[in-house]
Amino acid sequence: MKTRIKDLRKERKLSQEELALAVGTTRQTITSIEVGKYTASLVLAYKIAHYFGLTIEEVFDFSEENEF
Amino acid sequence: MEKFRTTVKRRIAISSGMTFIAMVLGGINIYSIIITDHSSATHSDGFVAGFQFGLIVSIFGLAVFDIIKLSLAINDETKLRILYNKEHDERLIAIRNKAGAPMIVITSIMMIIAAIIAGYFNIVVFYTLIVAVAAQLLVSAMVKLYCMKTM
Repeated sequence: MKTRIKDLRKERKLSQEELALAVGTTRQTITSIEVGKYTASLVLAYKIAHYFGLTIEEVFDFSEENEF
Repeated sequence: MEKFRTTVKRRIAISSGMTFIAMVLGGINIYSIIITDHSSATHSDGFVAGFQFGLIVSIFGLAVFDIIKLSLAINDETKLRILYNKEHDERLIAIRNKAGAPMIVITSIMMIIAAIIAGYFNIVVFYTLIVAVAAQLLVSAMVKLYCMKTM
């Protein structure tokens, strides 16, 4: 799944470690979400979106998920 | 976070207890090796005693490592938060579950205890159980490593 997390972090000059600490996860999980290896749960997706002051849809791209 | 701090304190106390037990068991093990009549002891007897001593030393080492790690975390709010996040991280929990935790750990401990007891009666059972434990831990570690790379 594509996400805007990396861009949002860069905009706010935030490291993966700082974001991980703020949303209650590990740096490795943030890396995996950013590269699309891991799909965050609804709770984690909400925490990340909420941290950036955005909605889940604005951070995570669900367009590819609907394709069969 | 205060609840987790209490949990960490409890873990330090448990690890300290394990260190003490390992020291006592290690002492007993060394004493039993010294008083053993080596002229009548077989190679298997030595192997079982050596395995037990190795296991006790490993438990002691792990407990000391745990005490140091947790003591450093309890005095530092950031380290405590990182430790908490690592333990409650959804991806790591999923990886641990795929690798068979906690059942692999529980069955491995039970099999090691069974192997030690069996070692006093039948050395073949001892070897079989130890090899089985090593094999299941190896498979679990490989699955964990694979999931860490792909998830």
